[in-house]
Amino acid sequence: MKFNLLALRPLRAGTVVLATLLIAGWAMRPLEDPAWQAVRAGQPALKLDSLQGALGQGVTVGLLGGFRAIAADFFWIKTNSVWSDYDLPATQTLIKLVTAIDPRPLYFWQNGARMIAYDMPNWRVAEAGGYDVVSTAMQQQIEHEQSAVAIKYLNEAFGYHPDSVQIYLEIGNVYLNRLKDLNSAAEYYHKAALRSDAPYFVARIYAELLRRQGRNAEAYDWLKKLYPTLPKPTPPGLVQPAKNQPSALEIEMAMAPVVLGRIREIEKELKIPEYQRFKP
Amino acid sequence: MNATTGGVPFSFSRLLIVAGNTFTEAVRQKLFNFLLLLAVGLVASAQFFREFNFGSSELKFISDFGLGAMVFFGSTLTIAATAQLFFSEIENRTALTILAKPIWRTEFIFGKFLGVFAVIGVFCALTTLLLAGLLCSRENSLMALHPDAFPNGRLIHYGDLMVMGVLQWLKFGVLAAITLLIASFSNTNLYTVVMSFFMLVICHLQYLAHDAYAQVASLPLRLLVRMLGYVFPNFQVFNLADQVAIGSGLDAGVVLRVAGYALVYIAVIGGLAVYSFRNREI
Repeated sequence: MKFNLLALRPLRAGTVVLATLLIAGWAMRPLEDPAWQAVRAGQPALKLDSLQGALGQGVTVGLLGGFRAIAADFFWIKTNSVWSDYDLPATQTLIKLVTAIDPRPLYFWQNGARMIAYDMPNWRVAEAGGYDVVSTAMQQQIEHEQSAVAIKYLNEAFGYHPDSVQIYLEIGNVYLNRLKDLNSAAEYYHKAALRSDAPYFVARIYAELLRRQGRNAEAYDWLKKLYPTLPKPTPPGLVQPAKNQPSALEIEMAMAPVVLGRIREIEKELKIPEYQRFKP
Repeated sequence: MNATTGGVPFSFSRLLIVAGNTFTEAVRQKLFNFLLLLAVGLVASAQFFREFNFGSSELKFISDFGLGAMVFFGSTLTIAATAQLFFSEIENRTALTILAKPIWRTEFIFGKFLGVFAVIGVFCALTTLLLAGLLCSRENSLMALHPDAFPNGRLIHYGDLMVMGVLQWLKFGVLAAITLLIASFSNTNLYTVVMSFFMLVICHLQYLAHDAYAQVASLPLRLLVRMLGYVFPNFQVFNLADQVAIGSGLDAGVVLRVAGYALVYIAVIGGLAVYSFRNREI
């Protein structure tokens, strides 16, 4: 039988194509690697082992293929749907699933924690017969349990958002509004207030939390240190370069006169003599 | 050079004529109905999010869904349009008429590519502008309703959104070149479409094989996987959309590298499609 060389043509063409792609891929590493590292740095690793049980294969491939944000959005909408039906197990599972899929948006962590800490205790009490039937001790136990779940959940968020002001505030608010634990709330507000990106109100609330615990001296020291850092309107006659001029909104949000007013209140409460009082 | 070209030099004007015809043919293939459907879908989804009262985060949802729709429908459109426009020439025998004239196969293939690339460009431009318009309109409303949620001004970087549209266009360009390469040796439209979808999935997931086998003890297996990683382009490098949606800016250096990566791949894979097509009997 005569060997037909033409039969080898597709094989030769295939080899040329593969070899060219191989060389091109290798040659383009210097372009691809830094870009890929940058893309990857913005994408926390998927914990597939915790997701595969809850998701089908199709969704998993979608997640791996780059549809991660949209999948998380879909599941968040589903979370809202089960939340409106007061379905506690489904809501709690979906909240955790959403942040397992895409832990980057703070919105998911904040709102998930709010559902767990503020809504779910009401659902549990309602399911047990309502606030008239369930004893106060039992209500408090439920609130403590749900708050613990929410705080644990928010602490997981620090893994993706280290030192986030919003997460510190969310934990502080759970302590303040749900558990009425002023000391722990103050601790988290303090952590948030120390961050340079903290909104102005955080430092003011921290001082108020200290005052409500009777720690007036600490609040006084804190506010005295805070006041000089706050933006204030430029006094008439003083010319400042435009770039150093705080905006009207910033001045309004900083509420320097309110802070000064509180300093004066504490001075009265602590009976600080006139000559030792804070001089702005 | 093809024997039928009879020694005529390569001509960009002939290439552009092929591209122009391809574009016209694509527009006639109900492409704009498809775009209209997508636009209606986008607008409807934006209205749907208002039901949930997401606040300023509604913008993230609109952006995610808009960019997701662009990636999904864009990939589908690229593969379907490229395969359809290539095989319509083969099946209607018009390719024979065209290639019987003094025209290079390079001009034919790159003309086809440019025609499809222009169609995808229109698709990307329309969807990006529509999405930007939707986001801008909704952001204005939300800024009026909840000014405290926008302490630093606008959340969406509209310039980055436009850059994302361009990067997606370039990615679809690589995908169109891959589809043309497959079409250049394939006998049927269906085979081309199926194989191109497989390639799309492989190019999106090849990084996983890299990761999984990076720690494998067996050296030959590791080398094999590394080589496979070189053969398939990594489509995940184009996945910068999430950063736009969560309010982070795009890094200009990364954008330029990704754009360069796409352009080099378009040239290389397009060249291979020409090489493969030159060996093909029509």
